[in-house]
Amino acid sequence: MQAEIYAYKCTACGHLHHPAHFVCVKCGGREFEQVALTGEGTLVTYTRVYNLPEGYMKPFIAFGIVEFPNGLRAAGQMGTDELQLGMRVRAEVGVVKEGVGKDFYGFIFQKAE
Amino acid sequence: MRQVGIVGVGHTKFGKAGVPLVEMLSYAAVEAMDDAGIKTGKGHGIDQVFAATMGGGMINRQHGVASALVDTLNLRPAMAESVENGPASGASAVKLAYMAIASGMCDTALVVGGELMRVVSGWEATDFVATMLHPEAEYNYGLTLPALAGMFTRLYMEKYGVTEKDLAMVAVKNHEHAMHNPVAHIQLVPDLYSITEDEDAIIINPHVAEPLHVYDVCPVSDGAAALVLCAMEAGDRFPKKPVRIAGIGQATDTHAVAERAVSTDLLAVRLAAEKAYAMAGISPREIDVAELHDAFVILEIAESEEAGLFPRGEGHLAVRRGDTKVGGKLPINTSGGLKAKGHPLGATGVSQIVELTRQLRGEAGGRQVAGAKNAMAVNFGGFGNNVIATILTTGGPEKYASGNLRI
Repeated sequence: MQAEIYAYKCTACGHLHHPAHFVCVKCGGREFEQVALTGEGTLVTYTRVYNLPEGYMKPFIAFGIVEFPNGLRAAGQMGTDELQLGMRVRAEVGVVKEGVGKDFYGFIFQKAE
Repeated sequence: MRQVGIVGVGHTKFGKAGVPLVEMLSYAAVEAMDDAGIKTGKGHGIDQVFAATMGGGMINRQHGVASALVDTLNLRPAMAESVENGPASGASAVKLAYMAIASGMCDTALVVGGELMRVVSGWEATDFVATMLHPEAEYNYGLTLPALAGMFTRLYMEKYGVTEKDLAMVAVKNHEHAMHNPVAHIQLVPDLYSITEDEDAIIINPHVAEPLHVYDVCPVSDGAAALVLCAMEAGDRFPKKPVRIAGIGQATDTHAVAERAVSTDLLAVRLAAEKAYAMAGISPREIDVAELHDAFVILEIAESEEAGLFPRGEGHLAVRRGDTKVGGKLPINTSGGLKAKGHPLGATGVSQIVELTRQLRGEAGGRQVAGAKNAMAVNFGGFGNNVIATILTTGGPEKYASGNLRI
């Protein structure tokens, strides 16, 4: 099963965070509830990185920062080669790094239809 | 709070050291102690040692670096601490030495910063630096410092009209400055046309992290830099007139870069600089020379604006006018900067202060800024989540009488 990526909602004031904070950046609250961070957003900026670890079978990895409609911004990998500032993207969750005995899941942003 | 000055500087040739970490630190330390006229034998007078290194433990498999350094330099039983604050470790060590002396707890301190990075591959060095990024929101994705810098550069170009040629001009300027700095890692000047407009430019100067090219990014270097600091009231014990540390400011910002309210702001640079100016009683207009943390050349432009040296969005125009060259209105990175002098992480913040001390003493040779009296350094940790600004001056402490509390 694919993991989900969450936003963390302060139970006192409702302020959303990503990634998780121990103390709310708005009201100082310390309790949060997990809310799935999904859907479409806007590509704020991106890059293609060419200095990759040895053994990588591709010339570059693309990364981007995406703004969701709820105002949260998150970094992730780009799953599309068509990259343009301001484009609509859909947040998918997939394996972003293969670890020893444990894979790491994260955002892979795809071009929205 | 007592006033604090710099009475000794030392600096190894940046590049590939070929010696173990503590030996490399020792070369810089001994040069600084010689410069300060301190004997390395009995009666050296060093009360406290700070050793700044980010990766000693991770890439050199050595912890307790300050303790090892004190022993090999025969400075026992001086107090000693190792300092790790990412790429801002060097300026942090200078700040801690300042606090130690200003508090009255000691009179003389030795600060040594260094990094031995070329013992690992380029990728391993990049990966080790990336371990300071947010583990879940950044590092696990494979994000690195060049990746964050590439995304920041794209936004900055879009918002303020900075061009790839502007970026290359910063690099060429810093390489020109480095030609006059014998301790700089890279002693060559790339041709601006060849790395930007020539039909082979993308081969000579390929992308690292779009839109950043090889010549927009600092090299991986070994190296060490050292300072001897003393209480200003003890300054006449040393052969050279102390250069006074007039102000230090430090500020932090969000760990995950995506969380910042304005993606093109380096808020911690602005706040650190404001604090340093306020403490020094010196305004940005009075700064004669600056060392800004240009691990990626866009940072020199952005920091020059956040530190108030040029108006917002106009740092690249100053580069086009030649204001930031030696001989210009406000020379920046006369040492060659991180871009050409090199960026051994723990050394960098100390190295910046070494360069500015040489400038204020008039010892900078072919890169000397004539009549420089006030100088600023910005040492940038993380991707701007921990920044230290330091202001040096040849001027006296008009506002604070020596030995008195700062109001």
